[in-house]
Amino acid sequence: MKNSLLIAIREFKERIGTRSFISLSVLGPLLVLGMIYVLFTFGGNSKQHWNILIADHGNLLESKIMPGKSGAVSYSFYNGVINDADFAEGKKYQKFDALLEVNEKVLTNKVGFVFFREEPDLRMQSRVQYHLERRLEEVLIERFKKISLEDYRKIKQPLTLRFANVYDPNEESSSLEGWAGLFFGSLIFAFIFLFGMTILRSVAKEKSNRIVEVLLASVSPRQLMLGKIIGIGFSAFLQFAFWIIIIGFGLYFMRENLFPDLLDAGNMNVTQLVIDSAEQSYQESHFAAREYNQFIELVFERLKFTNILGFFIAFFILGYLFYGALFAAVGATTGSESDGQQFVLPLIILLCFALYAGFYTLNYPESPLASLFAYLPFTSPVVVMVKLTMGYGVGEAYQIYVSMIILLISAIVMLLIASRLYKNGILQFGHRVRLKHIFKWLRKT
Amino acid sequence: MLEINNISKSFYRKEALNDVSFSVRKGEVFGLLGPNGAGKTTLIRIINRIVEQDKGSVRFEGNLMTEKDLLHIGYLPEERGLYKSMTVQNQVLFLGRLRGLSKKDTLAKIDYWFDKFQINDWRKKRIEELSKGMAQKVQFICAVLHEPKLLILDEPFSGFDPINVELIKQELIEMRAAGKTIILSTHNMKSVEEICDRAILIHDSNKIAEGSITELQSEKKEGLYAVRFRGSMIAFVNALWTGFELVDKDILGDDRFVAKVKMRGENSFQDLLKVLIGQIEIEAAWEMLPSMQDVFIELVQPIKKEADEK
Repeated sequence: MKNSLLIAIREFKERIGTRSFISLSVLGPLLVLGMIYVLFTFGGNSKQHWNILIADHGNLLESKIMPGKSGAVSYSFYNGVINDADFAEGKKYQKFDALLEVNEKVLTNKVGFVFFREEPDLRMQSRVQYHLERRLEEVLIERFKKISLEDYRKIKQPLTLRFANVYDPNEESSSLEGWAGLFFGSLIFAFIFLFGMTILRSVAKEKSNRIVEVLLASVSPRQLMLGKIIGIGFSAFLQFAFWIIIIGFGLYFMRENLFPDLLDAGNMNVTQLVIDSAEQSYQESHFAAREYNQFIELVFERLKFTNILGFFIAFFILGYLFYGALFAAVGATTGSESDGQQFVLPLIILLCFALYAGFYTLNYPESPLASLFAYLPFTSPVVVMVKLTMGYGVGEAYQIYVSMIILLISAIVMLLIASRLYKNGILQFGHRVRLKHIFKWLRKT
Repeated sequence: MLEINNISKSFYRKEALNDVSFSVRKGEVFGLLGPNGAGKTTLIRIINRIVEQDKGSVRFEGNLMTEKDLLHIGYLPEERGLYKSMTVQNQVLFLGRLRGLSKKDTLAKIDYWFDKFQINDWRKKRIEELSKGMAQKVQFICAVLHEPKLLILDEPFSGFDPINVELIKQELIEMRAAGKTIILSTHNMKSVEEICDRAILIHDSNKIAEGSITELQSEKKEGLYAVRFRGSMIAFVNALWTGFELVDKDILGDDRFVAKVKMRGENSFQDLLKVLIGQIEIEAAWEMLPSMQDVFIELVQPIKKEADEK
């Protein structure tokens, strides 16, 4: 283990000393910030005003929702049941752009349904969600004078609004959080690919400049491979930390400086807020900021970063180990760097497939295939991120741990297989490796 | 010190070593000779546990060799490489630590060797800035830094200029004097004659000869003797008469020669000296052993021919 550590330290130092590492650590996150800035600035919708009918047959909301006179959205109440087909065709409903269905169940399962004629943009979706969520909090607070833990959790549970086209209500809709999950998952895979290729190149380089023979006289191939994967992994992690810090500071800076109007008193909607405390202005300002743009809200409010971060790191590490071992094995079996390309292609296809699986999950989160993808070690790092940000249901949380354990076991198995390939491939110089050799190496102990 | 017992190894049906056995004694320089592709490097890799043998065993200091024993082995492979972007000092430090030295010890040893080889100015240089010969020196230091009991060198002189070849040779002789064991695989037969005590010759994955250098040379000797003398060449030839044959001569000066003579019949070296005394002034006389180069060619050539004919 000591030798693996020495190798890891050397790899780590070599990576972080390169110019490309430093520039990617800084320029990468700046690029992402630039993209976020563009989304912040141009994330507006085409339809300026939304007229929404709330069908609240139990009069749960008591015909109140904030804000009453917002410029972007206005609500009307109907204390009865409206069939979505009636809403679609009924003449008297044509002036409404969307129907928001609320019933008693929303207090417990926190799921509401919105049927729209024309798909509202994400900003409008998050706005409606926010309004309903705040109003439900008020309703719940009134109900629970003396609040129990269970009730508190009911209040805390986030609201899920299911948006559906009123003309095609069975079409499942994607959600903003899911996209964020896909972004995180893609980020994991981008790093896996980037640093996987670094492993591959590093192995191929050691092989081609023949230092590997000196190293193998002191350490076992397994130690060498493990040290390499760990060392490069730490540099990946460091780079990733740079990304998080720079993007975090960048977002903070944007909120404080580039979008000062977010905190402008003119944006506040205070009419429906019944708060007399000193915190009022703070809450209002937050409210206004959230109203401004769904991306701001998503980034600053809705994503449960602390929740996600732990799993993100776990899947990042495990996914990296799983694929890193594969890349190391490919690196060891290649005669030269260019020769390695043919074996990299299947890996790239695998990574692309994983991204597709993430996209698929985003669109069909409840499908059995999506559940399968969440368990497959090849795809789980992306798919779990998507599912995680979209929210696992109560009682489904075990699934995430199952995915994690499967990935962990697969990573260990992959490391064992890869070290066998590595051991047999690393000293094969100057001839083309064929698939039959690889099978032979795998059989050999 | 090191026992190689019945080692066999094949790579995809191609035999690299076939039932090779020999032993290396403590404190000797042992030559591992053979033409290209004979299986020397495979054998060295097996000793270093880089490659596993199919059959046979390796014993180090009496016990079956384990991974721990690698800490007592120094290895300079033929195909050498270093991390190009690393500095000389960091490179040596890294490899020293992999060989089990502490950081402090490694640094102390670096000071010693860099002083000895007068390369203190290179410490901060990156490997890619060094010439091939310079990098070879660094590699040699990496191999001996941890003061191994057994040092295995695969073609250690290739790439060195004559001055550095001499430097390395002296270093090896010093190490032998200090009780270290050295295995030397080389095609440089002159250096084998100069520093090896014993050697084996491997050809086509088989051991074809083993013994001390003098034994190997004696086996192939042709009964040639050399006489360095002062006097007349005609007198020398006349003295030989029919019992001896003059094969070759070197003229050293107006009246100084070295004559190479072959015995005929039952005549011995003694008889040669007897017929010469009084005719010329003998300065020195000695039996001429074939060079290791000749021994090598003589041993390998017939087998090669046989194989070609087949």
